[in-house]
Amino acid sequence: MHELSYAQALLDEVLRLAEENDAKKIIRIHLKIGELLLINPEQLKFCFSAISKGTIAEDAELVIEFIKPKIICTECGREFDEVIGICDCGGIVSIEGGKDFLLKKIEMEVE
Amino acid sequence: MHRIEVDAEYDVLSLNKRLAKENREFLSKHGVIAINVMGAIGSGKTLLIEKTIEALKDEVKIGAILGDVIAKDDYERVARHGVKAEPLNTGKECHLDAHLVHHVIEKFGDVDVLFIENVGNLICPVDFDLGENYRVVMVSVTEGDDVVKKHPEIFRLADVIIINKIALAEAVEANVDKMVNDAKSLNPKAKIIKMDLKKNIGFEEWLEWLRCALRSRGE
Repeated sequence: MHELSYAQALLDEVLRLAEENDAKKIIRIHLKIGELLLINPEQLKFCFSAISKGTIAEDAELVIEFIKPKIICTECGREFDEVIGICDCGGIVSIEGGKDFLLKKIEMEVE
Repeated sequence: MHRIEVDAEYDVLSLNKRLAKENREFLSKHGVIAINVMGAIGSGKTLLIEKTIEALKDEVKIGAILGDVIAKDDYERVARHGVKAEPLNTGKECHLDAHLVHHVIEKFGDVDVLFIENVGNLICPVDFDLGENYRVVMVSVTEGDDVVKKHPEIFRLADVIIINKIALAEAVEANVDKMVNDAKSLNPKAKIIKMDLKKNIGFEEWLEWLRCALRSRGE
């Protein structure tokens, strides 16, 4: 379950920012995740809740927005929704993006 | 108590990216070509490394890092061939990451080719750059001829796709051409090799690719 690695990297940064802002509790964590990143959001949430137990991020909600990659034929310019290597016209299809995992915003309670 | 919002703009993958970059810089500085050998369990990754060592040991200096969840069996198999090898146990993790490789990479500054055998798995290792120059993805016909189509991301990002155990295709009713076509349509730029390691089919083609990669080192 490689989601555990992601959850740990995320928790480390969330707690660092929480400390920087003297937070008492983390309420919500906003993420942007590329659709081509092989990550299962339910497993990510499960891992995050398990490793955040006993920290101020315990019970925080993960809000995930997915980002689509740009999949476009380099010959005819046709756009695709799914990963494909060759277009019907014979052109090579280029795939850009869709691999990011960004922590965008944290909602937290402070004194 | 009141609530605030803090903007972050933090790349959760940044640590792995940074360490992968350091690995890549180390390899480049020492003229080492690193190959991330990925693929399913039992697809033939370790045997490919063993046979390559035997075939090229008078030509090039080879090193190997062998990733496994636990146990050192793959490491022992490869080390027997007299090359520098290191086992990497991931413990709870299903993939190697740049950090794990970072711990041992400095031992391999004097080799020409460094094989990094990943944990057998077609999903988890995909998004973890190790700092390698090439990705080789190996599957076998015994995994079913739909295995390529079912795991598009690992094949899309491969430089070489090896379809192994083709001599068994008839027995397991697998259509090798379908596997090749699936691989081509996902990744038209990859080198695709039909192989049967135990019968020596396709192995020369693999060595030819590897020699070519070595010749283009530093270009």
